[in-house]
Amino acid sequence: MRVKQTTLAEAASLVSDGDTVALQNMATQAAPMAMVRELIRQGRRELGLVCLVGGIALDWLAAAGCMNRFIGNAVSMEQFGLAQHYRRGVESGRIRMEELSETALLARLGAGARNLPFLPTRGMIGTDLIDINENLTMLDDPFGGPPVVACRALVPDVALIHCHRADRHGNVQYEPTALWPDIGIMPKAARRVIVTTEQIVDSDVLRVNPDRTVLPGFVVDAVVEVPWGAHPTSFNPLYGYDAALHLAWAAAARSDDDVAAFLDSYVYGPADHDAYLTAVGGVERMAALARWETG
Amino acid sequence: MAPDPHLDSPPAGDWTVDELMIAVLASCFEDGDQACNGMASFLPVAALQLAKLTHAPDLVWLAGAVGLEPRPGPIPASTLEAPLWRDALMYVEQYGDFWTLALNGRWLQKFCVGAAQLDRFGNANNSVIGGDFHAPKVRLPGTAGLADMGSLGKQLYYWNPNHNPRSLVETVDFVSCAGYLGGGDERERLGLTGGPELVVTNLCVMDFEPDSKHMRLRSVHPDVTLEQVLDATGYEPVLPPGGVPVTPKPTAEQVRLIREVIDPHGMRHREFRRR
Repeated sequence: MRVKQTTLAEAASLVSDGDTVALQNMATQAAPMAMVRELIRQGRRELGLVCLVGGIALDWLAAAGCMNRFIGNAVSMEQFGLAQHYRRGVESGRIRMEELSETALLARLGAGARNLPFLPTRGMIGTDLIDINENLTMLDDPFGGPPVVACRALVPDVALIHCHRADRHGNVQYEPTALWPDIGIMPKAARRVIVTTEQIVDSDVLRVNPDRTVLPGFVVDAVVEVPWGAHPTSFNPLYGYDAALHLAWAAAARSDDDVAAFLDSYVYGPADHDAYLTAVGGVERMAALARWETG
Repeated sequence: MAPDPHLDSPPAGDWTVDELMIAVLASCFEDGDQACNGMASFLPVAALQLAKLTHAPDLVWLAGAVGLEPRPGPIPASTLEAPLWRDALMYVEQYGDFWTLALNGRWLQKFCVGAAQLDRFGNANNSVIGGDFHAPKVRLPGTAGLADMGSLGKQLYYWNPNHNPRSLVETVDFVSCAGYLGGGDERERLGLTGGPELVVTNLCVMDFEPDSKHMRLRSVHPDVTLEQVLDATGYEPVLPPGGVPVTPKPTAEQVRLIREVIDPHGMRHREFRRR
């Protein structure tokens, strides 16, 4: 098996300006944040993001001017409120949102993964979501039943995934926890896959629990070891979300000066991931998050 | 049904509207139902737990649409994070398991919906307010699973802790969850079954008039006047013949369970805008 291990900076070169980027993220959970910060630092532009529920990652990308479109179900930081920069981006017309129901996004990605032109859903019938979206259309059931909604295949250029452990070949393991569809379907739909992992282990470690391997290495292009790589989102069972940093962002997001200062402190300033971890509170803070002391 | 010591407990002398709303929502769930919750859903999560602790011990809870029958601790600060589904029997993988179960039509047939806008026919909007869809006046978070649940034959239970004319409107700016659409039989003509059953707000309980599908006032909460409800509603709800009943107060036992067992940290209060 080929060795796919690399650095954040190298892996980021697989993402080009204008790419459609599928990003693992469920509100305050499980986003590959170290990779997101690297893309912001490298100044990617005109990215399209694809998420189930985008959170702070999307707001940072929007605030840094990296994105101009979003395909997904929702954008929210849940208890920390709406993603204000993303929201203002859409309201001003700078960011275009393709809003999909959950089954529609899964159908679009599922069709992309399976090399089908579309997959159907029964969701959204009667809503205004269908008419405004060229990737959705009503379709008569060829077998005579009621019509369904055809959801056009979506093939992202690249998928960004974070996991608990992987080997150097990109075989991906998850600890028992909530498994969102972004790990199940996004990487199989995307042309390229970048995995960040809490830990790179010997392949023999994966063989102990092959049932926990959720993605075969042959679909993965790059794997990077980044402990705490989902911070400030949670990565159960290893650590909880960082409420303090989410709150600090929500407060900063109100003024352009504060946004610039925030991004300098936590995204542009730190020379590498270790420097970032020091900036957000270091070992002591991470130990607290590992105990799910999130406040 | 056998007498229920919790429901047969006397009305609480000391209760607040969050507890009343939780008790009304809890009454919508029965033994044999399965139900899940979405994010920022403190009242539904409290209601599901209250139902399980009182009249519906065999109600099955799929916490966050992820964790099957967790051992519930006090409601945590998020209803979509791992502490909610502690000690679950199963992690339900969302693509392969959750949506298959939800789409099947036999399970998970009741769903609580929170929405920024709700109109007289029970259509809901969590997408955009005002302007063009691609340059709206206000971009809301997005429809997520609501656009599915509204069209899949589910019974929808709306909750709204901040009843006002901006959230209960004549016509939603954008239908991101199908209610009864234009009313009458429009929903049926599209082949859709199920639909909105109840609307529980901080002022009243509403249901839907069977033929017209207009929202209908079912009861007004104690200490709230009919005028207050009408002033706070962006349309005229159908009034029941012979006067509007008063919503029953939660029982003393329900209030005790909510305060001491289910939500001792008072997360439910986060849903109510400060006045």
